[in-house]
Amino acid sequence: MRPCVTAQDRATERDQRGCLLEFDFSPVVDSWRYLLDGVGISLMLSVWTMLGSLALGAAVGLGRVYGSAWLRVPLVFYIDTMRSIPVLVVLVWIYFAMPLLTGLNLSPFWSAAVALSLHIAAYVAEIIRAGIQSVREGQTRAGLALGMSTAQVVRVIVLPQALVRMLPAFGSIVSVTIKDTAIASVIAVPELLRRSETLAGQSFRPIEVFTAAMLIYFLLLVPATRLIDLLYRRVAHLGRS
Amino acid sequence: MTLDWSIVWEYREDLLHGVLLTIALTVITMIVAIPGGIILAMMRLSRSRILSTISLCFVELFRNLPLILVVYWAFYVMPIVLGIQIAAFETGLIALCLNVSAYNGETFRAGINSIREGQVNAGLALGMSRWQVMREIVIPQATRRVLPVLASTWVSLFKDTSLVSVIAVGELAHVALQIRSQTFRVMEMLTAMAVIYWLLGYPQAKLVDWIHSKFKVAE
Repeated sequence: MRPCVTAQDRATERDQRGCLLEFDFSPVVDSWRYLLDGVGISLMLSVWTMLGSLALGAAVGLGRVYGSAWLRVPLVFYIDTMRSIPVLVVLVWIYFAMPLLTGLNLSPFWSAAVALSLHIAAYVAEIIRAGIQSVREGQTRAGLALGMSTAQVVRVIVLPQALVRMLPAFGSIVSVTIKDTAIASVIAVPELLRRSETLAGQSFRPIEVFTAAMLIYFLLLVPATRLIDLLYRRVAHLGRS
Repeated sequence: MTLDWSIVWEYREDLLHGVLLTIALTVITMIVAIPGGIILAMMRLSRSRILSTISLCFVELFRNLPLILVVYWAFYVMPIVLGIQIAAFETGLIALCLNVSAYNGETFRAGINSIREGQVNAGLALGMSRWQVMREIVIPQATRRVLPVLASTWVSLFKDTSLVSVIAVGELAHVALQIRSQTFRVMEMLTAMAVIYWLLGYPQAKLVDWIHSKFKVAE
């Protein structure tokens, strides 16, 4: 039960609000280097996650399409598992539980890179599968009929078209990756969100600090997705068949 | 390493409570975010410049922010700016609703836009009102295209509810992490948490695949 609020309470509250609503962005300005380093770590984590998830996702996606039946079962299980558990759960499991199991201690940064890669690779694999399957079967058969090997068909005919068609989906993967790196703050990776929390706590200026963080993330994410859209518009004709 | 799995059974009631809160968060957010998304889409497609700009800004803002940051923002900033006390559960709910409404808005807009202009013009030429065209022609077809996307959003939302654990909402992730730090049964609790999420999420993911294959649009 909330206690009754008297008119006086409201007045004091309004006074307090009056004080707090005088914005003071000086903590953000004074600590710009601290926050900028956080942005750098967020971006580094995004780059390593992109590389990791592209490599793993490509292997899983290609294995799912071209692999033998017994290989497909565990791959599909892996993809569906990652689609059904939260990335936070993967992250804390890799960081807290995996060292107990393997004796291998990873720093928060690399734990986050591994966990995010494992998670996002499942989505990359699905995109690659959809891209490959969007190239009509007849083209593969035509290639095989001309005496090309499966590897040649994939490399010369299917992938060049499929990759172009996958571009918009990869754009959203880039955006998802940058957004998901913020979750690494939970295991104390000193990236932008973690540093914003620290700064907000130290300066007692949560409004200014978190609003600044919002602005920075927005300014990072919008160009990232726009650039990929632009690139796609330039090369979209290459994917038509 | 010795494992003691009885800890999971011992805390079954807490975990069950966490599961119920996770489900409640998912269901309530979707109940709010579907009308929210429809309103945003209507605003975006309306002939008023101001309404469509407001909707565009809202959607672009929340689609381009990490949800976890929105959760922190709702927790630290919203009570001060609005001058009201909000419980952690409601705060988490508000953050989720803002996020999912933005995504739903975009889904509904894309669904409505996917119906070719010619169909609307044909309806208007037959003397139907704009509203009739919407109700009789556009919405029934758009629904079939929107439904699979909404289903995918549902699963994402279910997973994203774990992020409100950072502001101490007692849903499954928070409960499991609490038990882990109280009992030091790290391996058991974290694995149990992953398994519970899997048991809940896997059927949903499969259902989404089924919906996608059932509603596949072939033109």
